[in-house]
Amino acid sequence: MWVTIPFGAMALLLIPLAIGTDAVLLERIGPGLYWVIVMLFGVLVSVGRASVETGAQRDASSLLGLDPAAGYVGRSISAAGLLIVFELVVGAVAVVLYGFDLIGIPWLAATLIIVAAGLGLLGSLAASLVGSGSAGSALVPLLVAPLSIPLLLGATQAYEGLRLGDSILPWMLLMAAVVLVAAIAGVLTARPLQES
Amino acid sequence: MPSEIPNRSWPWVAIGVSVAVALTLAMISPADAVQGDLVRIMYVHVPAAWLAYLAFAVTLVCSAGYLFTKNLRWDRLAASSAAIGVYFTGLAIALGMIWARPTWGVWWTWDARLTLTAIMFFVYVGYLALRRTTADPRTRAGRAAVLGIVGAVQIPLVHFSVVWWRTLHQPASILRPDGPAIQDPIMRWALLAGVIAFSVIYTSLMVKRVELHRLNDAIHLAERGEARPVAGASVAAPNLDEGARDV
Repeated sequence: MWVTIPFGAMALLLIPLAIGTDAVLLERIGPGLYWVIVMLFGVLVSVGRASVETGAQRDASSLLGLDPAAGYVGRSISAAGLLIVFELVVGAVAVVLYGFDLIGIPWLAATLIIVAAGLGLLGSLAASLVGSGSAGSALVPLLVAPLSIPLLLGATQAYEGLRLGDSILPWMLLMAAVVLVAAIAGVLTARPLQES
Repeated sequence: MPSEIPNRSWPWVAIGVSVAVALTLAMISPADAVQGDLVRIMYVHVPAAWLAYLAFAVTLVCSAGYLFTKNLRWDRLAASSAAIGVYFTGLAIALGMIWARPTWGVWWTWDARLTLTAIMFFVYVGYLALRRTTADPRTRAGRAAVLGIVGAVQIPLVHFSVVWWRTLHQPASILRPDGPAIQDPIMRWALLAGVIAFSVIYTSLMVKRVELHRLNDAIHLAERGEARPVAGASVAAPNLDEGARDV
């Protein structure tokens, strides 16, 4: 994670160099860019060493009689914790560089937590699917990115709703639904995946 | 065995006849009042999209079938159908873009149907990529089956996107509660012939791909069987005669 955070901050720094340093434009698109960075780079955080089970760990868990579903939930919580740290640090960089306002702090905090939970669950599920092969580093983002699009939409539209004073409840519910579906899918498939 | 030759050529005959009929009907059907001759692209675009749905639905059913039975036949069917579904989705997107350029003035627009179809395409590209990461048929089948089920969430999203959101893409023309929107019978037959032709192509490709997967699995299992060391082979028996001489 300590490599991914500077990499994400660097991406936020590079984007204005490519599209122009118009402060008004950057303030307008800043929140969207921030969430894109969280989605793309957050996947790398969620499949880091702290949240992915190696073959030896899997064998040890089996010998100890650990329920695979419990292992999946534990890895997801671990990934979500790391993602919250990632979101906070990169978020601070985004606010400084792009100058957008933080509106509705409690709702923003809830959005950060839900997105971290969703990405953590999807990342752990994808990591379980891919296993510990060498192709995993590229394949996990390819699997997670399309499935996490409702999180990206929900997070960006929630901020937009807060900015315009609209209700953001539907977007929060959309993100919560993704979290729920990912959790159910991960728990139900944990045992077949471990057996495979 | 002379009787095998006609059997092998039946799929090609079926494909040739169905495609010829579909092309003929597509050519003789009248031009659309609004779209003109561009409507003829729809006789390929729409069947490709429908067959993509069908292919991914088959992947869903066969993935569940594998998880319940652990029979590799289900996995081969799921994998074959997903690969063909990716081809059909790519074809539907490409044809849609060719149609959109003169009609909408752009190759691509951020429409809900288009965007979700592109996402569905990448989900199943990921499915195929996932399968390539594991050589062992059983490990691969278990992992792919989970993604085959999770990925199927995209199918209803894509299909109903034109109902749930206000999109530039037109709503369903055939599968509507109030009946088909296409009034001209030749147009309807042209579309139906396209669907039949694509179904024949899908079935033929499925047969070939399932056989290919079966042979791949057989080769893998045979290689693994030959390479497997015999238990205790690494332990050499002590040479007692030589040891006795040293003493």
